[in-house]
Amino acid sequence: MKCVITFFNHFGAVRYKKEAERSGWKVQLSPVPRSLSSSCGTCVFCDTLDADPRERITDEMEQIAVEEQSGDGYRTIWRAEES
Amino acid sequence: MSKSGKFDIIIAGLIIGVIASLLVLFGNPANMGFCIACFIRDTAGALGLHQAPPVQYIRPEIIGIILGSFAIALAKGEFSPKGGSAPLTRFAIGFCVMIGCLMFLGCPFRMIIRLGGGDLNALLGIAGFVLGILTGVFFLNKGYSLKRTYKLAATEGGIMPAVSVVLLVLLIAAPAFIHFTQPEGGPGAKHAAIAISLIAGAIVGILAQRTRLCMAGGLRDVVLFHDFRLISGFCAIFCACLVMNLILTAATSGTYFHLGFTGQAIAHTDGLWNLLGMYVVGFGAILLGGCPLRQLVLSGEGNTDSAMAVLGLLVGAAFCHNFGLASSGEGPTANGKIAVVICICVLAVIASVNTFAKNDS
Repeated sequence: MKCVITFFNHFGAVRYKKEAERSGWKVQLSPVPRSLSSSCGTCVFCDTLDADPRERITDEMEQIAVEEQSGDGYRTIWRAEES
Repeated sequence: MSKSGKFDIIIAGLIIGVIASLLVLFGNPANMGFCIACFIRDTAGALGLHQAPPVQYIRPEIIGIILGSFAIALAKGEFSPKGGSAPLTRFAIGFCVMIGCLMFLGCPFRMIIRLGGGDLNALLGIAGFVLGILTGVFFLNKGYSLKRTYKLAATEGGIMPAVSVVLLVLLIAAPAFIHFTQPEGGPGAKHAAIAISLIAGAIVGILAQRTRLCMAGGLRDVVLFHDFRLISGFCAIFCACLVMNLILTAATSGTYFHLGFTGQAIAHTDGLWNLLGMYVVGFGAILLGGCPLRQLVLSGEGNTDSAMAVLGLLVGAAFCHNFGLASSGEGPTANGKIAVVICICVLAVIASVNTFAKNDS
């Protein structure tokens, strides 16, 4: 299942990508999908088959969402406190 | 909205470009159907924050953008009051961005509109804007951050829309303490009817909120991700303005398109300072996370950090006219040149402190 992780800042996404790739995950940096948020930051796309991103939460992460099975939109499965 | 949204943003850009040209037909200054910086500057003058009689008018377009964004965000469940990400730093960056805008005589939005009207000075502006964005992206990739935002009470996010309503009441009531440029007294006297400007602003606010249209974000996404979605909106505005201006020039007695560097409306021909002014704007916009239009739209969505940037733009505009920093059709001022150099230094310090100092801690 495709998963998207949003961050409070661009470098949080860059740092997450580097660390994830060190662990062997296939991840990709991208602008945050409009259907997920009206904010225009940087996100990381990954596949939950590689690993569960909820096991690697950082202070810079804003939310984790998975793509709906219909392929139309995303469902948030984790969100940082007070965000 | 389509999943990629590319088609939507092109349509939105075309509509916005047409609106910008029509606003000139309906009375706005030439090549200034929209200019976020100029319109905030005019509003600052109307409120008595500066004493430059030619540029004093509460521009309904600004009110419309904020209220349009607010209304569509509420309707779509995207009104999200938040803030707390270095508000005073954002105020300072907004202040610097306005000084850059008033050196060039326009925000990134007007830069495209000017180019669509044949003003080739905008090409120097675009060059500076791109260089500023590249500088900002350098810091982004090195770790620049103004730290996270936090959820706020709905009342906090509703302040900017409420202030917009108050401004609209002041514009319509026109009490004696609000300053208005006298007829034929300057650009502030040239404006479309209030209802037309307000509706135009609201449409732009709605479209920009739905598509996340951002002049700086478009170039940033091309550099960072080779993603051309946002910049396609930018290009669509230019195309629509160009075509509309050519049509209006042919169909009316007015001149809406004049190709060249000289004889352009509310513009000067000093290439170096056009470039440096927009360098400040591009650099500052990346540090803020969006151009002045985007800051207005986000403030309507309840983002108080963007509201602080807008207040920085407002106060910066007042300083520009109180201390002779703003350019005119005759060119930049000595004070303005010094201010732009100081702004470049200030932005470099802000970027460095929020990049390298944090990484060391």
